[in-house]
Amino acid sequence: MDFSFFQDSGWATFIGRFHPILVHLPIGFLLIAALLEVGRRMGRIQVNESTISFVLFWAAVGATFSCIAGYLLSLSGGYDEALLSDHKWQGIGVAAFAWIAWLVKSDFIGERIPFGPLFYLPAFALATVLTLTAGHHGGSLTHGDDYLTQYTPEPFRTLAGMEPLNTKKGEIQPIADIQQAVVYQDIVQPILEARCTQCHNASKKKGDLRMDEYAMLVKGGENGPIMVAGKGGESDMIKRCLLPESDDNHMPPKGKPQLTTEQITLLSWWIDQGAPADKKVAELTVSDPVKPLLAALQSGGAAAAGSVAEASAIDGLEVKAGDPQAIAKLTQAGLIVRTISAGQNLLEVSAVNVPSFNDQQMALLMPLADQVAWLKLGRTSLSDKGVAQISKLKNLNKLHLEYTGITDAGLAGIKALPKLEYINLVGTKVSDQGIKSAVEMKRLRSLYVWQTEVTDSVIKLLAKEHPQVVINNGMSEESIAAFVTAGDSIYSKLDQKKAQ
Amino acid sequence: MEKLIKELEYRRVEQQTRRHFLRNCGFGLGALGLGSLLGSCDSGASKTAQVAGGKVPHFRPTAKRVIYIHMAGAPSQLELFDYKPELVKYDGVDCPAEFLEGKKFAFIQGVPKMLGPQGKFKQFGESGAWMSDYVPYMHDLADDLTFIKSMHTDQFNHAPAQLLMHTGGARLGRPSLGAWAAYGLGSENNNLPGFIVLTSGGKQPDAGKSIWGSGFLPSVYQGVQCRTGGDPVLYVSDPNGISRDMRKNTIEAINEINRQTYEQVQDPEILTRISQYEMAFRMQMSVPEVMDVSKEPQYIRDMYGVKPGEGSFALNCLLARKLIENDVRFVQLFDWGWDGHGTSAADNVGGGLHEKCRQTDQPVAALLQDLKMRGLLEDTLVVWGGEFGRTPMQENRNGLVMPYMGRDHHLDAFTVWMAGGGVKKGFTHGETDELGYYGVKDRVHVHDLQATILHLMGFDHERFTYPFQGRNFRLTDTEGKVVKSILA
Repeated sequence: MDFSFFQDSGWATFIGRFHPILVHLPIGFLLIAALLEVGRRMGRIQVNESTISFVLFWAAVGATFSCIAGYLLSLSGGYDEALLSDHKWQGIGVAAFAWIAWLVKSDFIGERIPFGPLFYLPAFALATVLTLTAGHHGGSLTHGDDYLTQYTPEPFRTLAGMEPLNTKKGEIQPIADIQQAVVYQDIVQPILEARCTQCHNASKKKGDLRMDEYAMLVKGGENGPIMVAGKGGESDMIKRCLLPESDDNHMPPKGKPQLTTEQITLLSWWIDQGAPADKKVAELTVSDPVKPLLAALQSGGAAAAGSVAEASAIDGLEVKAGDPQAIAKLTQAGLIVRTISAGQNLLEVSAVNVPSFNDQQMALLMPLADQVAWLKLGRTSLSDKGVAQISKLKNLNKLHLEYTGITDAGLAGIKALPKLEYINLVGTKVSDQGIKSAVEMKRLRSLYVWQTEVTDSVIKLLAKEHPQVVINNGMSEESIAAFVTAGDSIYSKLDQKKAQ
Repeated sequence: MEKLIKELEYRRVEQQTRRHFLRNCGFGLGALGLGSLLGSCDSGASKTAQVAGGKVPHFRPTAKRVIYIHMAGAPSQLELFDYKPELVKYDGVDCPAEFLEGKKFAFIQGVPKMLGPQGKFKQFGESGAWMSDYVPYMHDLADDLTFIKSMHTDQFNHAPAQLLMHTGGARLGRPSLGAWAAYGLGSENNNLPGFIVLTSGGKQPDAGKSIWGSGFLPSVYQGVQCRTGGDPVLYVSDPNGISRDMRKNTIEAINEINRQTYEQVQDPEILTRISQYEMAFRMQMSVPEVMDVSKEPQYIRDMYGVKPGEGSFALNCLLARKLIENDVRFVQLFDWGWDGHGTSAADNVGGGLHEKCRQTDQPVAALLQDLKMRGLLEDTLVVWGGEFGRTPMQENRNGLVMPYMGRDHHLDAFTVWMAGGGVKKGFTHGETDELGYYGVKDRVHVHDLQATILHLMGFDHERFTYPFQGRNFRLTDTEGKVVKSILA
């Protein structure tokens, strides 16, 4: 049959797209007819044979129209040939056997076919089985062949000999060191997998294009290569993404999850750089607009220098609940004790209302040595002697000692705390010597030393050696004055302009 | 079900208050049965703890404290942070019909003209954030901020939009964000309220005190408004001739009577009253101390731009830092005067907006810098925004040409920024179309913003509820999704 007129006029595709809707009719009809037949034969239900015959007739009609629509859809191309062929013949089989099953039972024709009734059950059974296989193949054509079983849970996964589940498939995993990331493998491929390969893969190559492998991506599709190495902006792949969504040539097709501007910029940058297969970020030239995008891919997406978002040292830590009597004693002394979050039993203790809190009172904290994670003893009467006791709070995570009597000696005493991430030493007598030992702490990330004896030159030095620690020395009186005048000057410029 | 029964019991006890009154009047009505009907003293003790203590957060908070800076009247995102170069080209061109179809505006009528950005924009920091010359002090802080450029709301009038922003509903009667925070996290300072409100700009916000009210939460959680001139809180200082000891004795006596009454009638509002009396007594000492900026060094006052003896937004920012330093959970700043319609020399997006920025830009930047160097920004969330945005079209009230450049209220796109307490540094979430009319990527509704702020404070907004009138209420009503991508 010649469908060329049909195809050219767009009617073919229009009707073809009804295929996924139509197919559900014969599937449902056939299965209900089969159920009725089984139920009738087992004597469970009272049903007239003509009822089943009636349902079968509509199943056959539905299957026939599905076949026609399916054929028209297949003309638009882009499907895996082998899978498509299986699906097609199974579908035609469904229609054919459904008609046979109906014919042999029908009042007019059935009696004229010799041995007709003998064909009924085999034809019916075949049509039913083929419905299931054709349906499954159809699903594989549309969604990709691992769609159904992609999220098989354990233990069935291991039993079926499948690979462990990668739940984050299709998302860009946070990258520990962006400079060392292989651009194609770590950045480009995850974007393509999230947005493109659903239709451009080994089994469903729309436009004869596969984007699931590097070699195939370079090869291109039915219109030739989709990338112009070194020229992202001229590459078909990028151009199509930038077309308005309503444009027929826009990719991904309207209604599908779209690429973000950032993702397009990253892909385009990679092509600009010659679309290399195995080059790392550090080996390529990073343009200004791309910098923040790459920085955002780094774990936590922090762009500012030094601020590395990582799991906290007390994540997942669980201790037993603190002794209520010990907590009551602290509360009586005027301290505030709070549970930080449900499930962990870690405590936050604050002496904000007890400026008289002193070294002797540190003993009150000792029964809760496992539980205290956040401790605020700023602006109290604490000295090095009391600070020494802090070293026993082994799960301590944040420590406020601003405006206390702590010195370098006291600071050295708490060096061994394994989970301490934050120390506030603002307004204390701590000096360069003290912070040199503090930065050695394994988990330390933030150190606040404004209004201490610590010098900027030493901070600069330490920042290089220990980039994971942010040492904040605040603003000096001079830099505050500069801050005030810098903004002011912009305002006065504007004023002058207005006056003119 | 259990909660329903509890509330029923509470309502029943409310009824009994009347009987109780009658009994005291000498009728002796129901005196016998009353004792068994009323709850035991034990439950009362646990309620006291609840009022003072807050709840245990669902997860570890990254924002232990919040400063919410609300520019009442709604600042223009198109002049400050949402740079739209395309809009320059369309300046003075008639607004396309598609922008107007089916839309309602507060004042725009007929076909308005587009209005190009009035500020000069540049990119700043490693993150390359766009900011205009209206906010020069913020330029250096680009890499500390997370911008949400795709905010949208449901309300285009000030009062309902402010209510929606702060209470999760456009009508009166719901607790504000700060009240929820105080209720959830409790106070971290025994001598100061957990929720303090400071206003500036000459007027109160349109929605009035309801936007820092406690709604159906116990009233102990409502925002305490502090004045920035004279007594910071009215009526907490001792009257002439009354010594502090005498005041103390008085309050102890009143509270003892209140406590006895509570044990008899079980009304939780009595506990609120008791704790408010106690708090007021402690505040007599603590508030004047924390609200006194005269002990701050001159260079710090200069940093904020605080002028002596003048209540101002700058002073409020400095006070906010001091309150946060003293572990007040939630500090809410309102500054009035951002409603740039173009009706007067003050209300426009040219010189008027510029003047508002001059009053606020330096203090906000100073606040961030100051929090940072004191080690407080890490676990303090600072939020800046208005109740809605402003149109890319120039306002044409009554179809006339306005005397000044102005923009109308706009609910489909506005910008909010956050800093500190667990949000990314140097990050932008969401995007508006090329004319800044509508969010085209990652739109964030007011309820999403609220869900995110609660998340940063350690609460799952869907589980953080309060039973009232037979159902559990929450800040985000039935909506809200946490904006995960801005979390550090």
